Amino acid sequence: MSPEALNEQRKKAVRLRLDGHTVAVASQRTGLSAPTVSAAWKAFREGGWAAVPVKPRGRTKGQGNTLGAAAQTVLWEALYGAPPQGMPGWSSAALADLVNVRLGLKLTQRAIEHWWETEGLLHAPWELNALAKKRTRAGRWFEKTVAPTFSLYPSAEQRWQGGVRRVAHPQRALYQVYLHGARGKLYMRCYERPPAAFDYQAVWASLPRPAAVVFHGALFSASQTLTEWLDRQTTLTVVAVPADIGLEHR
Amino acid sequence: MTSLTHLQRLEAESIQIMREVVAETENPVMLYSVGKDSAVMLHLARKAFAPSPPPFPLLHVDTRWKFQAMYEFRDKMAEEIGMELIVHINPEGVEKDINPFTHGSAIHTDVMKTEGLKQALDKYGFDAAFGGARRDEEKSRAKERVFSFRTAQHRWDPKNQRPELWKLYNTRKHPKESIRVFPLSNWTELDIWQYIHLQNIPIVPLYYAAERPVVERDGALIMVDDDRMPLEPGEVPMMRKVRFRTLGCYPLTGAVESEADTLPAIIQEMLLTKTSERQGRVIDHDSAASMEKKKQEGYF
Repeated sequence: MSPEALNEQRKKAVRLRLDGHTVAVASQRTGLSAPTVSAAWKAFREGGWAAVPVKPRGRTKGQGNTLGAAAQTVLWEALYGAPPQGMPGWSSAALADLVNVRLGLKLTQRAIEHWWETEGLLHAPWELNALAKKRTRAGRWFEKTVAPTFSLYPSAEQRWQGGVRRVAHPQRALYQVYLHGARGKLYMRCYERPPAAFDYQAVWASLPRPAAVVFHGALFSASQTLTEWLDRQTTLTVVAVPADIGLEHR
Repeated sequence: MTSLTHLQRLEAESIQIMREVVAETENPVMLYSVGKDSAVMLHLARKAFAPSPPPFPLLHVDTRWKFQAMYEFRDKMAEEIGMELIVHINPEGVEKDINPFTHGSAIHTDVMKTEGLKQALDKYGFDAAFGGARRDEEKSRAKERVFSFRTAQHRWDPKNQRPELWKLYNTRKHPKESIRVFPLSNWTELDIWQYIHLQNIPIVPLYYAAERPVVERDGALIMVDDDRMPLEPGEVPMMRKVRFRTLGCYPLTGAVESEADTLPAIIQEMLLTKTSERQGRVIDHDSAASMEKKKQEGYF
């Protein structure tokens, strides 16, 4: 049995146990042995759904790449500070250059991205255009709101997507604003508190104009300052992602 | 002989308590706060007196600051069940525009909840009021009896409580005295969730995790439920996936970040949690033993 198939059966066994079925019944219905059903149930009791699947085989991506303390300090200071002039946030290339200038340490962009992944900062762009074919809330939202906006901003360079989120970091208070530009290139800024209206203004003011931004994670309509500022922008359109349409942070 | 599961035993105990109250008192009422405990209590009451509707009305002591979703759910449930729903709002509080922001949580709770409840009980002459409090919620609730006697002024004396040995309840009371009855006293939060799951009891959607606009206040995540919520200068609410373990007035109820958007997921979260749901209630952190003081003054 492949690890994926085994994990599915383990989850099914836990669901059966949650519904009140005995280990014997769960074992019979899933084809797993009784000790495996008990082990899956115990894992669920102790660690939730995340603990039910068996451990992945092999090493995880980037496991062997660890940055030194000095490099990490430089990276965190940069992320919490202002990005280079004219950029909406820090890119992996800009961070690699900074570490090179400050410490004389040559890092690849991949090394920075691995570090982002380790710290929970990496974010993948949504496949917005794929929503056009979906008959879901997200599909209808794309058709009614995003597609008309994008038709006004035809170039891929003008279309951005991003959001704000709190990152559950073990050592830091960490709020991240992320933006994906053309071809999904990732830019980010970090804050120790939830970003305020002027923080968002600073991010959007640094975008090359004209620009349309599909943005997730903030209720801009509650901020009069931001609403008025956005109304005055003639070459910037910000489209807020509605709650619970499946476009969440990933 | 078949043995009952622990939930069946709790259910039987609660139903016995409800029937006992109806048999022994003249004018009982069920306090309905629209939360999950109220939902379970209401479900038990319907079971206890089926096929008739429960022989008492529901009383919601409204503060005007509950979540919008709670008001919608309350009205929907009252219509579905066909029970009389009495909604009482303290008119003095309305006149003075008492609210949690300008007056603080302590005054707001005292005027709109405690005084409001006492007014409603006096106005309608209720001599017994069912409440959905549980012992595992908070330490003063832990020591309160199932039948909690209140003076004519609705005061509770924690040092003068009646024994309830072998689940025998002494319901004798002086004229004008009243009883607060807690049929869910011996339930835990986990029991409540399991029972809701097994009996498919409808609850307010706020208990399920969803993306909601929140701001941080003293470490608590407060949902921006309407435009009455004052924001700090430049503050922008963030959309975060949160749910509520307990529901009260929205400015005084903290959300928890969660991915639990189904009942099994909530139950699993309960299995792992080590804190009381009332950690999320701002009113419980006013001062040491604040709940006990509120209860002595007449809070339910």
